[in-house]
Amino acid sequence: MSLLSILGVLSSAIFSGTSLLYTTLGEVIDERSGIVNLGLEGVLLVSAAAGFAVTSWSGNPFLGVFTALLAGGLMNLILGYLVIHRQANQLASGLALMFFGFGLSALIGKSYVGTKINALPRIPLPGLSGLPHLYTSLFSFDLLIYLSIPAAFLVSWLLFRTRWGLSLRAVGENAETAFASGRNPRLIRYQALFIGGLLAGLGAAHLSLAYTMTWTEYMTAGRGFIAVALVIFSKWHPVRAIAGALLFSGAVAFQLLLQSSGVQISPFLLDTIPYLITLLVLIAWGGTRKQSAPASLGRIYYGTE
Amino acid sequence: MNQKIFYTVTAIVMSSVLLLAACAPAATPAPPEAPTAIPTEVPTAVPTEPPTAAPVEVATEVPTTVPTAAGPCLTIGALYGGPITDAGYNEAMHESVMAIKQNIACVEIIEAENVPDEAGATTTMENMIQQGAQMIIATAFNHQYPALTLSQSHPDVIFEHAGGWEMGANFANFFGEPPDAWYLMGVAAGKMTTSNKLGFVAAFPLGWTLTFINAFELGAQSVNPDVQTIVAYTFSWGDRAKEADTTNSLINQGVDVITMHVDSPSTVLSTAESRGVYSIGFQSLAAQQFAPEYWISGTGYTLGDKLTWLASTVIDGTWEPIFLRCGMADGCMAVAPFGAKVPAEVQDYVNQVRADLEAGNIIVFKGPILDQDGNVKVAEGEELTDDMMSSVDWFVKGVVGSPK
Repeated sequence: MSLLSILGVLSSAIFSGTSLLYTTLGEVIDERSGIVNLGLEGVLLVSAAAGFAVTSWSGNPFLGVFTALLAGGLMNLILGYLVIHRQANQLASGLALMFFGFGLSALIGKSYVGTKINALPRIPLPGLSGLPHLYTSLFSFDLLIYLSIPAAFLVSWLLFRTRWGLSLRAVGENAETAFASGRNPRLIRYQALFIGGLLAGLGAAHLSLAYTMTWTEYMTAGRGFIAVALVIFSKWHPVRAIAGALLFSGAVAFQLLLQSSGVQISPFLLDTIPYLITLLVLIAWGGTRKQSAPASLGRIYYGTE
Repeated sequence: MNQKIFYTVTAIVMSSVLLLAACAPAATPAPPEAPTAIPTEVPTAVPTEPPTAAPVEVATEVPTTVPTAAGPCLTIGALYGGPITDAGYNEAMHESVMAIKQNIACVEIIEAENVPDEAGATTTMENMIQQGAQMIIATAFNHQYPALTLSQSHPDVIFEHAGGWEMGANFANFFGEPPDAWYLMGVAAGKMTTSNKLGFVAAFPLGWTLTFINAFELGAQSVNPDVQTIVAYTFSWGDRAKEADTTNSLINQGVDVITMHVDSPSTVLSTAESRGVYSIGFQSLAAQQFAPEYWISGTGYTLGDKLTWLASTVIDGTWEPIFLRCGMADGCMAVAPFGAKVPAEVQDYVNQVRADLEAGNIIVFKGPILDQDGNVKVAEGEELTDDMMSSVDWFVKGVVGSPK
């Protein structure tokens, strides 16, 4: 194994971990306010398709990112209407949203399959210009990658250092008490879902506009669900989500490195490594005494008389 | 409370309806045109120009004046496993089918894309037969058994399936012969590599995929004995992010030519391009646009002429179930133009090998062929047959990676 291949695992972890990180951050905000969003897969797909369509149509990837962002927020508001306004079951609504997203994204993206777009421009890390292109291209990141870790700290600041974050967490712990202390749980949950959707939209934009530069049906391939697992992995904390996203995508890159270096282990087995690691961490976390899940996660707020 | 349940149920039903509506295969009948020009010549007189014009318009145009006196001379129902604009397998199949319409004007074509599963294939084909299809062209792996079953209950309809192995009274299989073309791509890659490492992004370790990899490596070895082909699998036909990861992983192992067997080559090609690494396309010739600078060449299916011939035999009633395999010499596999970075002498050499392959001077899987562990897989004086190629579970010597 050469230096290039080890740096390559790091690079791949960053490239494919970015969409996971944004999506996980979005889900952290949703869940901190007490709502489980199982429809993330659909939200991602609709955002990716909408962003790709607008980029292909306008030729401007930044307009595409903006569209993906909005599409994510709007998709989450649909869930908001179902679970906040109509007080429907969160899990069922989330799954319905996911299926809705499958269909809607296929419809939006239909005429854009196989089109070539202007991808998000890549800006090489400064100070590497002397190295061969093979190395510099590993660390030529797009804007969304550079912004991903600051975004995690920003979400952390929003949740733990602002009055709004305090209200949001209060609603997630106990909506009735939050109401009694003068907060509007419904409004806060709508806000949380909208912002969470914006972040998921960024993740989707990175997937379709920066990393793969393409749109195909069901291109997220389960990333929405991985993000839900990563929220538990990171114990509902945005900064720990960085580690979760990097670990998962690093594990994918690592098993591919093993495959391509000719290790005599069945590739079928190697392919399960990232999921095994996720499972192991979830099992290990499950044993800790301190429960960090928001107390009213998944519970419907019926309003206070 | 009741109202709440009502709204929830409505929301779920609406979502499901939208989903189903979007996923349902869109069967758009093409308008019948000039129903008098039925070709009566022998099938060899069919134009040999590969179809390059965008024939999609034909399927979407709404007929303004439909001739009422005479209907189409033949209605063909064609179904695809994925989107027909994927710059990959489905686009290649779609263009091959639309070539029939270009060559025989009185044919009407009903197309359905995104039919990946067996149940969907059955209903789609039944729909097409109800709309008057007398010939069905089923192009996805999962279409074979539904088509075979339907062929027994519809003896008056001709079924042609791409890339399978079953045969029946009114059911037959057709396909290109990619191994020769893959060998040629290997020759080009072996000439272009400087690191002597080629990379192959594969979806699954399937028999045909392994055969393509073997042919590629054998072609490369024929010009460069030290060359290795490194294989990594994505375990998905369409997980684009993983395809990008896999491509990068291979490049980081020192590979300087990348090729692939996945549904659509676009992500693999554009990733290789962004790393400044050569690439070779497969499935559809439309792939070149994704690697404008580092493109070497590519190969794709151009089955239009053979499908035209099959359709013409259906029209004049001489159709027979034949197991049709056709290669580069028959025009069923096309080789894409060379990229700008390929030197003239490499182009000349590759063209020479192509002529030899077409003339039968080079047989790709001619013994002795050794596997990775040095066991003799094809003995001296023997050749691998088509049947054996589809069930290969070993790699030739020089391939790095696990075949199972």
